[in-house]
Amino acid sequence: MDPRERDRSKKKQFRKKFLFRKKKFCKFCEEKIPYIDYKDVRLLQGFTPERGKIFPRRISGTCAKHQRELMQAIKRARNIALLPFTAD
Amino acid sequence: MVKYESIFITEASATDDEVAGLVKGFEETITAARGKMLKVERWGKRRLAYRIGRHEDGNYTLLQMECPPPAAHELERRYRMNDRIIKYLTVRLDRDIPETAPVPAEPTAVDVPSEPGEAD
Repeated sequence: MDPRERDRSKKKQFRKKFLFRKKKFCKFCEEKIPYIDYKDVRLLQGFTPERGKIFPRRISGTCAKHQRELMQAIKRARNIALLPFTAD
Repeated sequence: MVKYESIFITEASATDDEVAGLVKGFEETITAARGKMLKVERWGKRRLAYRIGRHEDGNYTLLQMECPPPAAHELERRYRMNDRIIKYLTVRLDRDIPETAPVPAEPTAVDVPSEPGEAD
Protein backbone atom coordinates (compact mmCIF):
# COMPACT_ATOMS: atom_id res chain seq x y z
CA MET A 1 0.00 0.00 0.00
CA ASP A 2 1.15 3.49 -0.73
CA PRO A 3 2.37 4.97 2.57
CA ARG A 4 0.44 8.13 1.92
CA GLU A 5 -2.72 6.12 1.45
CA ARG A 6 -2.17 4.36 4.75
CA ASP A 7 -1.66 7.64 6.49
CA ARG A 8 -4.91 8.96 5.16
CA SER A 9 -6.91 5.96 6.27
CA LYS A 10 -5.41 6.26 9.73
CA LYS A 11 -6.48 9.86 9.90
CA LYS A 12 -9.94 8.89 8.82
CA GLN A 13 -10.17 6.31 11.55
CA PHE A 14 -9.13 8.82 14.13
CA ARG A 15 -11.71 11.30 13.00
CA LYS A 16 -14.38 8.63 13.08
CA LYS A 17 -13.60 7.75 16.68
CA PHE A 18 -13.67 11.36 17.66
CA LEU A 19 -16.93 12.06 15.91
CA PHE A 20 -18.68 9.20 17.59
CA ARG A 21 -17.90 10.38 21.08
CA LYS A 22 -21.03 11.59 22.82
CA LYS A 23 -21.14 15.32 23.26
CA LYS A 24 -20.68 16.31 26.87
CA PHE A 25 -23.02 18.83 28.39
CA CYS A 26 -23.65 20.41 31.74
CA LYS A 27 -26.64 18.74 33.31
CA PHE A 28 -27.46 21.79 35.42
CA CYS A 29 -27.37 24.25 32.55
CA GLU A 30 -29.38 21.91 30.39
CA GLU A 31 -32.13 21.28 32.92
CA LYS A 32 -31.97 24.81 34.28
CA ILE A 33 -31.59 23.68 37.86
CA PRO A 34 -31.40 27.00 39.73
CA TYR A 35 -29.95 25.70 42.96
CA ILE A 36 -28.04 22.55 43.72
CA ASP A 37 -29.55 21.36 46.95
CA TYR A 38 -27.31 19.45 49.32
CA LYS A 39 -30.37 17.59 50.54
CA ASP A 40 -31.09 16.08 47.13
CA VAL A 41 -29.19 12.87 47.73
CA ARG A 42 -30.34 11.18 44.57
CA LEU A 43 -29.05 13.98 42.37
CA LEU A 44 -25.71 14.18 44.15
CA GLN A 45 -25.20 10.44 44.10
CA GLY A 46 -25.02 10.63 40.34
CA PHE A 47 -21.89 12.73 40.74
CA THR A 48 -20.20 10.58 43.36
CA PRO A 49 -19.47 7.18 41.81
CA GLU A 50 -18.63 4.07 43.81
CA ARG A 51 -15.74 5.41 45.82
CA GLY A 52 -17.72 8.46 46.86
CA LYS A 53 -15.32 10.83 45.18
CA ILE A 54 -16.56 13.89 43.34
CA PHE A 55 -16.84 13.21 39.63
CA PRO A 56 -14.35 15.47 37.79
CA ARG A 57 -15.86 17.88 35.36
CA ARG A 58 -13.47 16.84 32.65
CA ILE A 59 -15.48 13.63 32.55
CA SER A 60 -18.95 14.68 33.62
CA GLY A 61 -18.96 17.78 31.45
CA THR A 62 -20.40 20.00 34.16
CA CYS A 63 -19.56 23.67 33.62
CA ALA A 64 -17.21 25.47 35.99
CA LYS A 65 -19.89 27.44 37.79
CA HIS A 66 -22.07 24.44 38.45
CA GLN A 67 -19.13 22.24 39.40
CA ARG A 68 -18.32 24.72 42.16
CA GLU A 69 -21.89 24.67 43.42
CA LEU A 70 -21.99 20.91 43.13
CA MET A 71 -18.81 20.60 45.15
CA GLN A 72 -20.28 22.80 47.89
CA ALA A 73 -23.46 20.73 47.95
CA ILE A 74 -21.61 17.41 48.10
CA LYS A 75 -19.42 18.61 50.94
CA ARG A 76 -22.42 19.76 52.91
CA ALA A 77 -24.19 16.49 52.32
CA ARG A 78 -21.13 14.62 53.55
CA ASN A 79 -21.00 16.72 56.67
CA ILE A 80 -24.50 15.72 57.66
CA ALA A 81 -23.97 12.04 56.76
CA LEU A 82 -26.22 12.00 53.72
CA LEU A 83 -23.26 11.05 51.53
CA PRO A 84 -20.16 9.08 52.45
CA PHE A 85 -16.71 10.64 52.50
CA THR A 86 -15.38 7.40 51.17
CA ALA A 87 -16.67 3.95 50.44
CA ASP A 88 -14.74 1.12 51.93
CA MET B 1 -32.52 38.97 60.26
CA VAL B 2 -30.93 36.18 58.31
CA LYS B 3 -32.47 33.03 56.95
CA TYR B 4 -30.92 29.80 58.09
CA GLU B 5 -31.48 26.16 57.51
CA SER B 6 -30.44 23.76 60.16
CA ILE B 7 -30.42 20.00 60.32
CA PHE B 8 -29.78 18.03 63.44
CA ILE B 9 -29.49 14.30 63.89
CA THR B 10 -30.57 12.70 67.11
CA GLU B 11 -29.89 9.17 68.15
CA ALA B 12 -32.09 6.75 66.28
CA SER B 13 -33.65 5.62 69.55
CA ALA B 14 -35.12 9.07 70.22
CA THR B 15 -38.90 8.91 70.24
CA ASP B 16 -41.20 11.26 68.37
CA ASP B 17 -42.19 12.99 71.59
CA GLU B 18 -38.58 13.50 72.52
CA VAL B 19 -37.77 15.12 69.19
CA ALA B 20 -40.92 17.23 69.38
CA GLY B 21 -39.79 18.42 72.79
CA LEU B 22 -36.38 19.36 71.40
CA VAL B 23 -37.91 21.25 68.50
CA LYS B 24 -40.15 23.13 70.89
CA GLY B 25 -37.17 24.15 72.98
CA PHE B 26 -35.26 25.31 69.92
CA GLU B 27 -38.22 27.27 68.69
CA GLU B 28 -38.32 29.08 72.00
CA THR B 29 -34.65 29.99 71.68
CA ILE B 30 -35.34 31.46 68.29
CA THR B 31 -38.46 33.35 69.20
CA ALA B 32 -36.82 34.68 72.37
CA ALA B 33 -34.34 36.41 70.08
CA ARG B 34 -37.21 37.85 68.05
CA GLY B 35 -36.66 35.34 65.30
CA LYS B 36 -39.18 33.17 63.56
CA MET B 37 -39.33 29.48 62.81
CA LEU B 38 -40.35 29.04 59.19
CA LYS B 39 -40.43 25.32 58.75
CA VAL B 40 -39.94 22.13 60.66
CA GLU B 41 -39.56 18.95 58.69
CA ARG B 42 -39.16 15.56 60.24
CA TRP B 43 -37.36 13.06 58.08
CA GLY B 44 -37.40 10.31 60.63
CA LYS B 45 -34.95 7.52 60.87
CA ARG B 46 -32.34 7.18 58.16
CA ARG B 47 -29.22 5.19 57.74
CA LEU B 48 -26.13 7.38 58.15
CA ALA B 49 -23.72 7.43 55.23
CA TYR B 50 -20.93 6.69 57.67
CA ARG B 51 -20.68 5.67 61.27
CA ILE B 52 -20.66 8.48 63.80
CA GLY B 53 -19.25 7.22 67.05
CA ARG B 54 -21.27 4.09 67.67
CA HIS B 55 -24.24 5.23 65.63
CA GLU B 56 -25.26 3.66 62.35
CA ASP B 57 -28.66 5.32 62.07
CA GLY B 58 -29.97 8.68 63.01
CA ASN B 59 -33.20 10.58 63.33
CA TYR B 60 -33.11 13.65 61.07
CA THR B 61 -34.93 16.91 61.65
CA LEU B 62 -34.74 19.98 59.44
CA LEU B 63 -35.45 23.49 60.65
CA GLN B 64 -35.74 26.67 58.65
CA MET B 65 -35.78 29.95 60.45
CA GLU B 66 -35.25 33.64 60.24
CA CYS B 67 -33.35 35.13 63.14
CA PRO B 68 -30.46 37.38 64.10
CA PRO B 69 -27.11 35.61 63.78
CA PRO B 70 -26.42 35.38 67.53
CA ALA B 71 -29.59 33.32 67.89
CA ALA B 72 -28.25 30.82 65.37
CA HIS B 73 -25.07 30.53 67.39
CA GLU B 74 -27.09 30.01 70.51
CA LEU B 75 -29.00 27.26 68.74
CA GLU B 76 -25.77 25.50 67.79
CA ARG B 77 -24.51 25.83 71.33
CA ARG B 78 -27.66 24.10 72.52
CA TYR B 79 -27.15 21.34 69.96
CA ARG B 80 -23.71 20.71 71.36
CA MET B 81 -24.94 20.63 74.93
CA ASN B 82 -27.54 18.02 74.17
CA ASP B 83 -26.02 14.58 74.16
CA ARG B 84 -28.94 13.07 72.26
CA ILE B 85 -27.83 15.07 69.23
CA ILE B 86 -25.03 13.38 67.37
CA LYS B 87 -24.49 15.79 64.49
CA TYR B 88 -25.82 19.06 63.14
CA LEU B 89 -25.36 21.41 60.23
CA THR B 90 -26.51 24.99 59.88
CA VAL B 91 -26.29 26.81 56.59
CA ARG B 92 -27.21 30.30 55.65
CA LEU B 93 -29.79 30.61 52.91
CA ASP B 94 -28.35 33.33 50.77
CA ARG B 95 -30.78 33.05 47.97
CA ASP B 96 -34.41 32.24 48.09
CA ILE B 97 -34.31 28.55 47.79
CA PRO B 98 -37.05 26.94 45.80
CA GLU B 99 -39.38 24.65 47.63
CA THR B 100 -37.46 21.42 47.75
CA ALA B 101 -38.95 18.03 47.92
CA PRO B 102 -38.23 16.21 51.14
CA VAL B 103 -35.26 13.91 50.91
CA PRO B 104 -36.34 10.68 49.31
CA ALA B 105 -36.27 7.86 51.75
CA GLU B 106 -33.41 5.58 50.90
CA PRO B 107 -34.09 1.91 50.53
CA THR B 108 -31.90 1.32 53.56
CA ALA B 109 -33.99 3.69 55.63
CA VAL B 110 -36.86 1.27 55.93
CA ASP B 111 -37.33 0.58 59.53
CA VAL B 112 -34.02 -0.61 60.82
CA PRO B 113 -34.97 -2.82 63.72
CA SER B 114 -32.88 -2.03 66.74
CA GLU B 115 -31.33 -5.31 67.68
CA PRO B 116 -31.11 -6.13 71.33
CA GLY B 117 -27.54 -5.97 72.52
CA GLU B 118 -26.60 -3.51 69.82
CA ALA B 119 -28.97 -0.97 71.31
CA ASP B 120 -27.38 1.64 73.50
